[in-house]
Parts: sequence; structure tokens; C-alpha cells
Amino acid sequence: MTDSKTININVPVLARVEGEGALDLTIKDQQITDLKLRIYEPPRYFEKFLEGRNYYDVPDTVARICGICPVAYQMSASHAIESIFDVTPSPWIRSMRRLFYCGEWIQSHSLHIHLLAAPDFLGFNSVIDMSSQFGDEVRRGFKLQTLGNDLVTLMGARSVHPVGVKIGGFTKAPDQKSVDNLLQRVSNARQDAIDLIHWLDTLDLADDEQDFVSVALHHSDEYPFNEGRIISDAGLDIQISEFENHFKETHRDHSTALHCSLNGKPYLVGPLARINLNARQFPDEVKNIMRELKAQFPSKNMFHSIIARAIEIYFCILEAESILTDYQPVNDPFMKVQPKAGTGFGCTEAPRGILWHRYDMDEQGCVSKANIIPPTSQNQSRIEEDLKTALIHFGLDKPKQDLQLHAEKVIRNYDPCISCATHFLNLNLVRNGQKENNTLETAFFPRFKNIKINKTVIIGIGSPQEKDEAGWQAIDVLKHNHHFIKLQNRGLTLIKLNRPGIMLTDSLRGFDHAVLIDATKPDISNTSLKWVDIHKIKSRGSLLSSHEIGITEALEWINSIESLPKDIALLGVSNFEPSQLTDIILSCIENKPKQ
Amino acid sequence: MNTDTHNKPRVAVHKFSSCDGCQLAFINLGEPLLELTKLVDILHFAEAGPVDEDATVDIAFIEGSVSTSDDLARLEKIRNNSTYVITIGACATSGGLQALRNMANTDDWGADLYANPSTLKSLDDSTPIKDHVKVDLELWGCPINQQQLLTAIRSLLFGVLPQEENDKVCMECKRQQTVCIMVTKNEACMGPVTRTGCGALCPKAGRDCFGCYGPAEKPNTHALANRFQGFGLASNEIARRFLFIHSDAESFHQEGQRWKTK
Repeated sequence: MTDSKTININVPVLARVEGEGALDLTIKDQQITDLKLRIYEPPRYFEKFLEGRNYYDVPDTVARICGICPVAYQMSASHAIESIFDVTPSPWIRSMRRLFYCGEWIQSHSLHIHLLAAPDFLGFNSVIDMSSQFGDEVRRGFKLQTLGNDLVTLMGARSVHPVGVKIGGFTKAPDQKSVDNLLQRVSNARQDAIDLIHWLDTLDLADDEQDFVSVALHHSDEYPFNEGRIISDAGLDIQISEFENHFKETHRDHSTALHCSLNGKPYLVGPLARINLNARQFPDEVKNIMRELKAQFPSKNMFHSIIARAIEIYFCILEAESILTDYQPVNDPFMKVQPKAGTGFGCTEAPRGILWHRYDMDEQGCVSKANIIPPTSQNQSRIEEDLKTALIHFGLDKPKQDLQLHAEKVIRNYDPCISCATHFLNLNLVRNGQKENNTLETAFFPRFKNIKINKTVIIGIGSPQEKDEAGWQAIDVLKHNHHFIKLQNRGLTLIKLNRPGIMLTDSLRGFDHAVLIDATKPDISNTSLKWVDIHKIKSRGSLLSSHEIGITEALEWINSIESLPKDIALLGVSNFEPSQLTDIILSCIENKPKQ
Repeated sequence: MNTDTHNKPRVAVHKFSSCDGCQLAFINLGEPLLELTKLVDILHFAEAGPVDEDATVDIAFIEGSVSTSDDLARLEKIRNNSTYVITIGACATSGGLQALRNMANTDDWGADLYANPSTLKSLDDSTPIKDHVKVDLELWGCPINQQQLLTAIRSLLFGVLPQEENDKVCMECKRQQTVCIMVTKNEACMGPVTRTGCGALCPKAGRDCFGCYGPAEKPNTHALANRFQGFGLASNEIARRFLFIHSDAESFHQEGQRWKTK
């Protein structure tokens, strides 16, 4: 491979990550000239939905942000709202919440290790392929994952979107028999977790030390789940309420997730960051195992994340064992709450790192404003920074498929949860009240519903004389626009017609949706693009067209002989910007929001 | 559908706008997932590894709602490539929780939401799959559970569509002899109008059902809403009970709107 070669790597669908992401990478002359982790999962606006909702709807709402870490969302929200209501969870609730979190970490980490990450290191495409050679390891992984799910189910009645959480505690205390059954299984899983750590430690992980800042919660008495201060290995040590003073979110065009930075720089959250900052809080059993490992912590090798996850699984099993051993049912598994107005913060350690929430509540206990910053938004800048360094360390002259696999491995180290990361686009964006494309503002704005693109036609009507080419020019613009090229590949028809008159019917036949583009007489409108309401214009005769037989007359004729397409829209054009034209048509046929 | 092991039925799992929670009904199967792969070939399931979006399959499972213009193109292709299309979960089946945005004033939001709209092609509405293409089977639930999924697959392997479970959560409570939340606690339980399939999880956990499996057959939402009013719930609170996980499902939507405007 010569130095002047340009390599483009484009991974349109990243496999084995949660949610929808893609990677674009361009290497030119042995330099990375473009690198984007594109997150295209559409935003879901959860914070907007929370506005006006009562506090008791919040746990059931925020759980839906992520199917893989719903517990984390419910916990950060509960703590934030309880702090506003001046409620301190009882020791029983506190301990059960740790148990609940143990379950989520065990299931999420097991899922990531076995289904998402390990196939990379062992040269398989998926866990299904991997199971043919590593059947025992895969079965052990599934067993741990199921155990984690069952711990969540013990407190939440199901593992995805648990229903047992309420502000103030849990809806029900588990019965002793269920607890005893699980305790037995948790104790039996100890050895599985130890074996898992040792197995992963034998994997051939790349040796790629990088310079980065780790950020995690820290609690003086325990390994952090629900409570603590936010600390970093660069000297940060703040209360969770001070988060916004140090961390900032920004929006980049290529991603629907906001990027979060600490004092303007990327940073890491998640299992490796937690262990780097909190290994001293582990019980001796965990510390002893860690001493035996090839991988040593604190570590600056992101590939050690997979081992960090396994270590945390082992810790969670010990923690769950201890909580279940001491378990006693209670009559009141929750604190009574009294709504109050105020602002509260919640920050807990989701499997992928700190998950920060802020709520403003009114006196009735309804949310007036919410802000949620998930771990993947926080890691996104770090992932891009890591990719640049890691690929240079790996060697930019390596074959394309090797570079691609390595890049994917790097991304998967972070266990990015893209579903989580994308629901917050609307927040903290500078509101731009000025509408720029005033020419698009019209009272009448057709939008086609349930469109079938292969039953859609766009017809430009014109003639070569009398400066009547605007309709044709419009079709030429669309023919060369990348978005419309894609639509044409899907069956969109673009046609130019020369003053068709009633012969228009031939071109409309067989289509369900039609956009007609015709030149506007300059004297009836000073805008360059304008939708025309066909129904209004019909009664007054043709005001629009400069042709002898206007379109509206033609349409009326056609309609009296045979039926018109279900949707029909007429766009008047004179001088236009190509981008305005494409936007206005897309807004009609694709239901895109008005700008 | 062919059950010959040499020519296994082909399956794809597609994702649209969602939380990934319904795909977990596959991923959380544990060892039975490996068993499943002996019965069917999974050709596309990005989260689990295989990626072949354009594969021609016997069954396409779809999670998530349609919320961008690109989604429409993808969806059409999936429909053309699949014998059966099965929606899994609230988002795919009714638009999901994010369908709450359909009721928002999108003109206001449009200016709010996008720093640079050209990078995004978000539609005004979050809509269910059935609004755009023919759906052969709907699995309701937020999230669906493994039993629903396996029942559907096993039935289809025998060439039949599974029977729809659409009676009320109340019926399930009675069958399980769960104490009624509405009667004993005066809580605004949605069980009387909500589709069963969850196993009456919420009442068993000591709380009100919040309708995450969507409307049951012939739901008398009107009578239930009036009962909620009897408990002292304000109109907007009653509206919020119905306008939650399935705000775009017709009967819940209508009842919610009725109280919202009061």
C-alpha cells in the first residue's frame, strides 16, 4: 500500500452495539483526515415528555430510554426527586437498591462481554458462531446474564423496564422464599465469575496505552452504585449538584447524541474508569483476584475494559450474596413522600458509567424541566479521540478490513449504548428563534401521509419558450440531488412535460401521490417557492400558470373523466435556491418538519 | 414454511426508533437462544452480530417506531423482502412512548429541536409500522416477553399465525387470584382496559397497571375514566393515564384527548 493512497472505511451499520451508529473514516497519505462516529438513531425527546408529568410517572417513563439499563435511569431519577421531597431512603431501601443495581450490572456486563465484545477477540462474527468452539464459556456467560436478570426481577417483577420501583422505594418487598432461591444461585455463581475473569485475562488483548482522564462516583465506604461524589484522576472532586459547572454538552452535526466534555476535554466513564478510581473500595476477595492478573489496574489500556467488567461482575455477586444473606422482609418497602417544589440532582453508576439527572419540580410534584446526561454522550468524544490514537498505534498501512475490525473493537470497548445517548438532542441547544427560509412560509402546506415512494411522481411542467423553464430546471435540480437520487432508486418518478394540457392525465395514471411544479407568474407572488391550494384556485380559474391551458383546468378536466392521485400538490416556482427546492418538496413527501 | 434443518426458515430482527428492550426478549433467552438458532437462521440482527439488512427472509421482526424519512425507505425494503412481518413491542405496534411527541405543537418544536436540521430527517410523528406497510402479526407490550416471542415463532414454524391474546389484565388477575389494586387501594389501575400478556405483573407487585401492553379488545375506557374521576383524579391526570406508553393507540388516544380538553 503506497503512502499517497486514500482509504475510505465506511461501516454503515455498527454491529454488536446497542442502537444505531456508523463509522466514517478517511485516511490520506498515512494521516487520518476524517473520522466520525455517526450516531443516527433518531432522538426521542424524553425530557420533553417528562414536562408536566407527575413524579410517580417518572420511573416508568425514564426506564424506556434504555432497555438494557432501565434500573440506572430509575435510580438516578428516584434519588433526584427524593432529594427535592426531603426523603432519605431507609437502610433497607438503600440496601435493596444496591441489590437491584447488582442485577443490572451483572446482566449488562455479561451481555456485553459475551455477545458484543468477546467475539472480536476470538475472531468470530457473533456469539452464535463463537458458541461452536467456546460452548462452555458461552453457556457460563448466559447463566450469569440470566442470574443478573433474575436479581432485577426479584425487585422489579421483570428485568426490562421493571415495574417495582416508585419514588420513595419499592412497591413490594420480595418474599423470603424467592430470596433464598436466588441466594443459592448467587453463591453458586462465585466460581463462574472467577473463571470468567481468568479466561478473559488469557485473551490476546491489544496493548494500547493511552492518556485519558477517568471520571466516576466515589463513596468513602463502598464501591459506588447510587451515591457519592464525582471524582477524576486529574483532581476533580465535586458534589453531583456541581456537575453543570464542570461538564458541558455540545451538539455536532454528524451525531444525534450530544458530546459532553470536562473542562473542554474528552473523558472516560464506565467500568474501567470506576475501577481506576475505586479499586480500593473492593472487598479483599476481589483485590486478591486482581493481584493474580496479567492486566493490572489502574490501567490506561482501554482493552482492559472487558476484564474490568468481569471484575465488577464478581464484585456484584459478592455484594448480592451479602445483601441476600442479611435479607429481612419489611412491611413498608417505601418511604411516604410529600411533593414539594424545587430542584434535585441524581447521579448513579449505570453499567456504562455515570448517569446524571436534574429535575425541576413544581408544588404539585409535576416536572417542569428535566435534564438527563447518559454515559454514552459522555464517552463519545473519548471514543473518537481513542480511535484516532488507536488506529495510528495499530498502523494506518494495515489492510482495510483489519483497520475496520480494529476500529470496531475500539468502539465496542466502550459498550456504547446508542439508544441512551440520543434522546437528549433538544437540550441545551441555543434556541434560534429566527426562521431563515421565509420564502418557505406559506399558509398552505401540503403533507402526504403514508406515502408509497414507488407510487409517487414529481412532474415539472414548462416549455422552452418565454422563460418558462422553471419547472424543468426544478426537475434537473432534483435529478442531481443525492437525496432524490436515493428516492429514485426506491422508485420515485421524475418527469418533465411540455405544456401537457389534459394529456397530463397520461403521466398521472397509476400514481397515488403527485407533486406538480410549474412556473409562477412573477406578478402574483414575490416569493420564489409557493405551494398552491388547488381547491382554492379551481373556483377562481387559473391564476397561477403562464400556460394557455393552466394546470388547474387540466386537473379539473382529468378529475371529471378519471380519478386523480390520492395526494396532489402544486408548487409554484420562479427563481429558487436548489436547497430550498429540495427541502420544500421533502417536507411534503417525507413529512419532514417545517423549518 | 420449511422446517427442514438443511433449509431453515430465515429470520431478521430490525430496529427502528426504540430502546432496544424488545430485542432483549431474544438476547435474554440465554441458552435457548442457541437452541433457536438450530431451528432458524438469523440473517440480520445487528445488536447480536449478523448484519444483512437486505436479506430475503421468512420472518422479519421489527422493533421501534417510524420517525425519520430514511425509516420509510428501509421499511419498504424490509416488507418486500419478508414473508411475514411481525412487530415487537409498543413502539413498532402503536408508536410507543415517543408517540407523545405527535401531540406536541411541532411548529414550536421544529425551531427548538434542531441546531442544524439538514443533518436530521426526523418526521413530525412517531408512527407504528402498520401505518406504512402491511403487518402480519403484532406482539404488544413494553417490553414484549420471551414467552410471547417463542409462542409466535413456534406457531409460525408450523405455518400458523398464533392466536391473539387480547383480553384484559383484570382477567389475568382473577385467574391468578391477585388482590384487586383498584378495589383495595383506590389506585387508578389501567387493568380493566389493558391487554393481558404480561401476567398481571403490576398488580402482583402491589401497584396499579399503567397500560404498557396497550388496549385490550373492546376496552370500556369511558367507564374507567369516570371511575378515576370518582377517585378524585383531576382531568389532566386522567388524561395522562391514557396518554402514556400507548398514547397513539386509538381507544387510549381518544379517551385521553377527551379528558385533556376538559
